[in-house]
Amino acid sequence: MGALAANAAAQRPAPAIPHFVEETDQAGLQSRFEGQDEFMVGGGVAVFDCDGSGLPAVYVTGGVNKAKFYRNLSQRGGPIKLQEEHSGLELTNATGAYPIDIDGDGNMDLVVLRVGQVEVFRGLGHCKFENANKRWNIPDNNDWHTAFSATWEKGNAMPTLAFGSYYDRSRPDFPWGTCTPAMLLRPEASGTRYAAPESLNPSYCALSMLFSDWNRSGEASLRVANDREYYKGGQEQLWKVSPGEAARPYTEAEGWKRLQIWGMGIASHDIDGDGYPEVFITSMADNKFQKLETGPDHPVYIDQAFKRGITAHRPYVGGDIHPSTAWHAQFADVNNDGLTDLFIVKGNVSTMPDFAILDPNNLLLGEADGHFTEVGQQAGVASFRRGRGGMLVDLNGDGLLDMLVVNRLDKAQVWRNLGAGTADKPAPMGHWLQLRLHQSGGNRDAVGAWVEVDLGGRIIREELTIGGGHASGHLGWMHFGLGDARDVKLRVQWPYGGWSEWQALAADRFYRVDKEAGVSAWKAP
Amino acid sequence: MKLLTAMPHAPRLKALAFALLAACSLGLGTGSSLAQTLAPAAAPLAAAKPASAYSSGVAYDWIYLDLQLIQQTPGFSPPVAARALGYIGLALYESVVPGMPGYQSLAGQLNELSSLPWAQPDEPLHWPTVANAAMATMTRMMFSNASAENKARIDTLERSLPLKYTQDFDPNTVTPDINNRSETFGKLMAMAIMTWARTDGGHEAWGPLRRDRANYVPPSGTGKWSATPPAFAPALLPYWGMNRPMVLKTAADCPAPPPPAYSEEKGSEFFKQGMEVYQISNAATQEQRQFALYWADDAGKTPTPAGHWAYLTNDLLKSRKASLASAAETFARLNLAMSDAFVAAWYTKYTLNVLRPVTYVQLAIDSNWVPSLMHTPPFPDYPSGHSVQSSAAAAVLAKEFGANTSFVDNTHNDRGWGPRTFKGFKAAADEAAASRIYAGIHYRFASDGGKPQGQCVADKVLALKFRP
Repeated sequence: MGALAANAAAQRPAPAIPHFVEETDQAGLQSRFEGQDEFMVGGGVAVFDCDGSGLPAVYVTGGVNKAKFYRNLSQRGGPIKLQEEHSGLELTNATGAYPIDIDGDGNMDLVVLRVGQVEVFRGLGHCKFENANKRWNIPDNNDWHTAFSATWEKGNAMPTLAFGSYYDRSRPDFPWGTCTPAMLLRPEASGTRYAAPESLNPSYCALSMLFSDWNRSGEASLRVANDREYYKGGQEQLWKVSPGEAARPYTEAEGWKRLQIWGMGIASHDIDGDGYPEVFITSMADNKFQKLETGPDHPVYIDQAFKRGITAHRPYVGGDIHPSTAWHAQFADVNNDGLTDLFIVKGNVSTMPDFAILDPNNLLLGEADGHFTEVGQQAGVASFRRGRGGMLVDLNGDGLLDMLVVNRLDKAQVWRNLGAGTADKPAPMGHWLQLRLHQSGGNRDAVGAWVEVDLGGRIIREELTIGGGHASGHLGWMHFGLGDARDVKLRVQWPYGGWSEWQALAADRFYRVDKEAGVSAWKAP
Repeated sequence: MKLLTAMPHAPRLKALAFALLAACSLGLGTGSSLAQTLAPAAAPLAAAKPASAYSSGVAYDWIYLDLQLIQQTPGFSPPVAARALGYIGLALYESVVPGMPGYQSLAGQLNELSSLPWAQPDEPLHWPTVANAAMATMTRMMFSNASAENKARIDTLERSLPLKYTQDFDPNTVTPDINNRSETFGKLMAMAIMTWARTDGGHEAWGPLRRDRANYVPPSGTGKWSATPPAFAPALLPYWGMNRPMVLKTAADCPAPPPPAYSEEKGSEFFKQGMEVYQISNAATQEQRQFALYWADDAGKTPTPAGHWAYLTNDLLKSRKASLASAAETFARLNLAMSDAFVAAWYTKYTLNVLRPVTYVQLAIDSNWVPSLMHTPPFPDYPSGHSVQSSAAAAVLAKEFGANTSFVDNTHNDRGWGPRTFKGFKAAADEAAASRIYAGIHYRFASDGGKPQGQCVADKVLALKFRP
């Protein structure tokens, strides 16, 4: 069997490996995520466009250090340049951040997770922000907030916000079994602020949450990755969140299987093209890749991590034989070959001797047969720092996804994706498309929409979500690698709506996709 | 020679001593309940040779050693040190007050201290011996975690003082019987006060947490304190403001004025004051930097701020050839005020939880700034503890010695920074308060806001009736 597998691997065409170059210092990224025990988790980064430049700004949490906002001054296609600016988002004790336009005014807002009170900032335009906790009635509880996701429930102009929290901060001497309740914030009847929070009981020390339409019912459910280190009798969770009803976890009677892992991060994507999202959950060695097994009626998942070569359970380079500790996870196409890749940020909790100290981040390239191949070292991103959050995002507008990583007790890093070229002469690898959805009403960014791109016989698709990863969020251009396809077709299933008509688009461009006005090319100002 | 005037129908001291010592050794809670039964309602003792007839030598040497122990014993952060000095000062006073005609015990005026042991008027006591025993016992109990070497220094000092101050310890008058009785009374007083001290909430605050207190979780939110670089140490003594004050009825009795509303807006008062700390500390003159270091009085390196004021007071008393009675009265007032000042300051600090300048400046002005001269202490900013405590101390001393009394401060001579002469106590307190702005670790409003709080504490202490 081993020989057969090796043969099969040898027969697969090798995926094109993108080249990355670290530009942390040249870019001006100067952030460190530090702090003792309360900062062993978290370490997120948020990326979002707040100045209309089309280039995402970067907000890096710092733990006990100040969280910093960086305006993106990169030249398109050139080196990454980030400049720290005072934006109103400056905070201590920040551990994670997610961009979202809560009030639908077209200015990006930001949810910041903290050890302590959550801070929600309202965008004022031009990358300035103000605290909106009182305005929107965000609870001022002092828990250890570790996870976030959002969805627009049907009929609501404001999103429903889910916050996960970790263990009881007053019990550091014996934290086991003290997970504090996650909460759900739903808009009150006025539609301008939130009602009193609803507790999500039982809660099991969530480290990642993601609203996703797992069965394509049109309604997103809340997937929660929980850390088995601290709960008692807990498990991974999927909550049904329906308008007018109290949220409830799916049960074993409905097909949900009890799973106990050190759940730390969530990535979701339709990898196998069946129309339903698969879910990757990071853990300590025991990473899962879950596929819906029996169709949309029941949340029954099977694990295919081993089958697809993405167990990522131990370091692939560096010689450390201990198991890995995985945090942020994200599906995206880093080599623009039309096949989705998997990025995993890794790092020891602190100096846990039973787990790898030299624990490189993973870059697993997707292949046509559904397998993934590790190329972190060849791509130049095998960082051995103590990774936590991260993000693949196009920072310099060249269609290639660059890489951000936040490290605990170390500096954050940024790599520029050079494609097939060099730092002096980057070269594209495949064609690409980047889209911003827009619709009228509160959910202006059309969170919850599904986008399909027809590459000429093969359809790739992406769900627009807010949440997941590890404490790290992105809202901006949706990126699609197209491979060799120069001309593609696009359609969108708008939230709680039907599909748009297929529309032909040329590759290698940015488009604004408006529900009413249709598709229009976007050009950098 | 008859040392004390007899008072009829008083119970015998030895019996009282035995009973209370037995109670203490059996751990029967407060000795004060026993003492309450045994002490006479009023017992003004007219000593043939009162405490005022002796030098302050015993007090001087014990305070001097206590300040060294504060510096060298783990856990004696500024609030803890002030508390220790508070009880030590009280023990000194209460041990000799029966030998101070016209004075009275503070029992009944201090929180939950209804009574203390009382000397028996028909049994003469030798006040330097009483003070020596009381201070030795108090010092042993207060510094129970002192090093073996320092514990030996306590023993040595107790034995050597009668030999050092022969004019106060005349063997012709201090008979074995008087000596034994005096030692017993001194120990008894120290134990009774320590028994009271154990119930103030501060006794365990710097050791294992009290069982009824959860681990402290600092509040969060805009403008709230968060741990500061470089160590990002957890909040120091967050429950210290919940301690029972000695004189104030509650820690909230002496509030500081409200600080400016938190704001990062450039025109706001808070921003201006944050900017001022940033600019002043960055451009501090050599003299200002020296002030900052002079008054830093860090734990482990110095006798702490309260110890600094006790040190200069000790020298002042010595230079004025103060009597034992005078020293006892002065240290009682001064040390009670300083101890309560820390409780009041900590109460306000942890009620308002104002963030430190280093955090504010990083958030609003300069991401990479840290004070260059010293690290920011690990607790909320407002008000400045130095300011509260120095103001309280200065107000007490001004009343004691006169507002315009100049004095020499030798506290930091061994560091090469003294002696320094000050024109008055307020000048020294103002310099101590301002030094924290120069150091970059307090806003001006924290230094200014601490002063009325300190004055309030001093006023409460000065209102105590030392004389009936």
